[in-house]
Amino acid sequence: MLKFPKSAAVAVLGLTLLSTPSWAEGDAVAGEKVFKKCSACHAVGDGAKHKVGPELNNTFGRIAGTAEGYKYSNPMIAAGEGGLVWDDATLAEYLANPKGMIKGTKMAFAGLKKDDEIANVLAYLKTFSQGEAASAPAAEEPADAAPVEAADSTPAVSTEPAPAMVVEASKGAFGLGRVAMPEEIAAWDIDIRPDGMGLPEGKGTVAEGDPIFAEKCAVCHGDFGEGAGRWPVLAGGQDTLTRERPEKTIGSYWPYLSTVFDYVRRAMPFGDARSLSDDDVYALTAYLLYLNDVVTEEDFELSNENFSSIRLPNEENFIADDRLSEPHYAKGVEPCMSECKPGPVEITARAQILDVTPDGEGDESTGGGID
Amino acid sequence: MVDDTDPKGTKQKASRRDFLKAGLLSGAAVAASAGAARAAGEPLITEIQDWNRYLGDGVDVAPYGTPSEFEAHVVRRDVPWLTADPVSSINFTPLHELDGIITPNGLCFERHHGGTAVINPADHRLMIHGLVDTPLVFTMEDLKRFPRENRVYFLECAANGGMEWRGSQLNGCQFTHGMIHCVVYTGVPLRYLLEEAGVKTTGKWLLAEGADSAAMTRSIPMEKALDDCLVAFKMNGEALRPEQGYPLRLCVPGWEGNMWVKWLRRLEVGDEPWAQREETSKYTDLLANGKARRHTFMMEVKSVITSPSPQVPVTHGKGPLVISGLAWSGGGTISRVDVTIDGGRTWQPARIDGPSLPKALHRFYLDINWDGSEMLLQSRAMDDQGLVQPTKNELRAARGENSIYHNNGIQTWHVNNDGVVENVEVS
Repeated sequence: MLKFPKSAAVAVLGLTLLSTPSWAEGDAVAGEKVFKKCSACHAVGDGAKHKVGPELNNTFGRIAGTAEGYKYSNPMIAAGEGGLVWDDATLAEYLANPKGMIKGTKMAFAGLKKDDEIANVLAYLKTFSQGEAASAPAAEEPADAAPVEAADSTPAVSTEPAPAMVVEASKGAFGLGRVAMPEEIAAWDIDIRPDGMGLPEGKGTVAEGDPIFAEKCAVCHGDFGEGAGRWPVLAGGQDTLTRERPEKTIGSYWPYLSTVFDYVRRAMPFGDARSLSDDDVYALTAYLLYLNDVVTEEDFELSNENFSSIRLPNEENFIADDRLSEPHYAKGVEPCMSECKPGPVEITARAQILDVTPDGEGDESTGGGID
Repeated sequence: MVDDTDPKGTKQKASRRDFLKAGLLSGAAVAASAGAARAAGEPLITEIQDWNRYLGDGVDVAPYGTPSEFEAHVVRRDVPWLTADPVSSINFTPLHELDGIITPNGLCFERHHGGTAVINPADHRLMIHGLVDTPLVFTMEDLKRFPRENRVYFLECAANGGMEWRGSQLNGCQFTHGMIHCVVYTGVPLRYLLEEAGVKTTGKWLLAEGADSAAMTRSIPMEKALDDCLVAFKMNGEALRPEQGYPLRLCVPGWEGNMWVKWLRRLEVGDEPWAQREETSKYTDLLANGKARRHTFMMEVKSVITSPSPQVPVTHGKGPLVISGLAWSGGGTISRVDVTIDGGRTWQPARIDGPSLPKALHRFYLDINWDGSEMLLQSRAMDDQGLVQPTKNELRAARGENSIYHNNGIQTWHVNNDGVVENVEVS
């Protein structure tokens, strides 16, 4: 997934070992593995862009909350304005307990619990911090050994010209456009219907889905699909649909399992869409069925063979649009123009009591959301 | 960008209060200068002002113009607590600052599910496949060779007003009603593209898909696709804005904004709907009995008074007052808007001014002579299908409070003696 060549990472690691004795025990190669926990939300390396979290190139030495173009939480910006600069010590504290260090941070991640994981991931990130490498007093190494240079030296991938396409013109009335090739349709046609149309061949078990979920999904959706922050809750909520606060999950609300597979494959993990294999998606879908008690065995295997036999509990509770049968839409009723209410009108609710208009600090909803 | 996010809330609070204060002060200033004018005249008139003496900017200072610096407060704003992350979130059109029926491109609310995709039009393709005679791929250049049409349509998010189901919550029509905009689209009727591919007789549904990182999808009945849908590449005469789907978006007039797929890249013809995430787990309307309506495509008849409203209080005191608002219906044109100033005891017809176009915003006014007493302002729209905008309590009686979507209930603003406006509900 990471474009940055390992050899370059190792080369720069040599530099950082010389320059930073206190945290230098970190192993950048091991850190790359740890970083997988972060990669659902953060990119680093050549061409990295902001995802759910900011891109992490040149993090070392940066004032907190200042990566250009990323929309930080107010507390993170305040921390930077208060003088927080990212270095080994501050990053180590933050990664151990993000919310403990910066209350109100957007980072949903619970924290790295092992010191060696923190040291390793910091060593890994450091290989992408130019300032750090440049400031290393490595007299014997020319400054050219900086990581960007190394990355630039990797051979470009797409130098070969694309093979010539045989283009067949449209036969429609306008003769515009061209005929889509089967390979092109296959590349884009990834939708799946409740009847199973579109399912790819593949399979995966609950047990196989568990570690994938932990690595790719739990950071936002929680270890058991309970949701972190305002990220969607995926499991539970059965029998809540008629309550004041319904919990609409796959198990309690979604009508079809095909939607789970389709959506995970097309749009998840958030910020790294289309990165899962079909077998991974089967395994994750099986795991989500398990979290929702639709299947109960960890060795349950979901595949294109048995997929359409699985039904979700709430399928029967979806009905057609019958809004126009509501009494207030009865036709031919002329609306009242005068003396429409018996006496003076009373105010029964006021927005100011809630005070959730985005107008000040600490805004928090107490009412409905937009889902 | 960083500056935008942090003090946004606090700036806003200051600005609204400052505005109120400034209103009172300028009222006082007018009174004082009126008194002084008898002696020496208003200095703004009697003294030569800088802008009257010194040269202004030349023609090339802003090759793409921006609004006056004195309009810097007129911006889209979000409600941070609504969603987990701004990349999959929504902001709101500042309806309280706008007039007429057209929304300026830079103020059209944004709703993305995976951020704004950045696509070079030369790299964009639209594919039509599925139950068609010939699956086709179009470039943007191909699309611009089909006959095109210009149409004014509103686009309203189905969740507009979704925060108000359980009671008044947000103080400002930007937040209660700002998930809407209305522009003139230029595009190709979808039916031309479908006819070019040749829809088979079994093709009853269309799946529209975006090229963004959410690959947003919605199922659309073929009848609608062949009726008035457009594949648009311009809004208000210029290219679509990136956040509105540049270079290509679908227009599904009068229907849920979520169906107007942005960055449109694929249209699949099928014989059944696809039950995608955005039409099952989302954009379905949970009722009090636990049942949920699906495929509630049409946006119902609705209106709101945009001024005065909580963000634009009455600062001029009693006397002539322009009550202004918007009305719309996914069913057609607005035939009448009534306004009440006493919370719904007595209504009078408002004046609709400007074009009255189907599935477009309508602007209405009621010009009154305010006596300075408290008002409970409401507007009630009717469309040419005979549907009347319901009250919020009528909606709750029929649906409960958990529907999230399709809240088209009548909005009430309380105006106090000082002209301060609050979002309230009434008996």
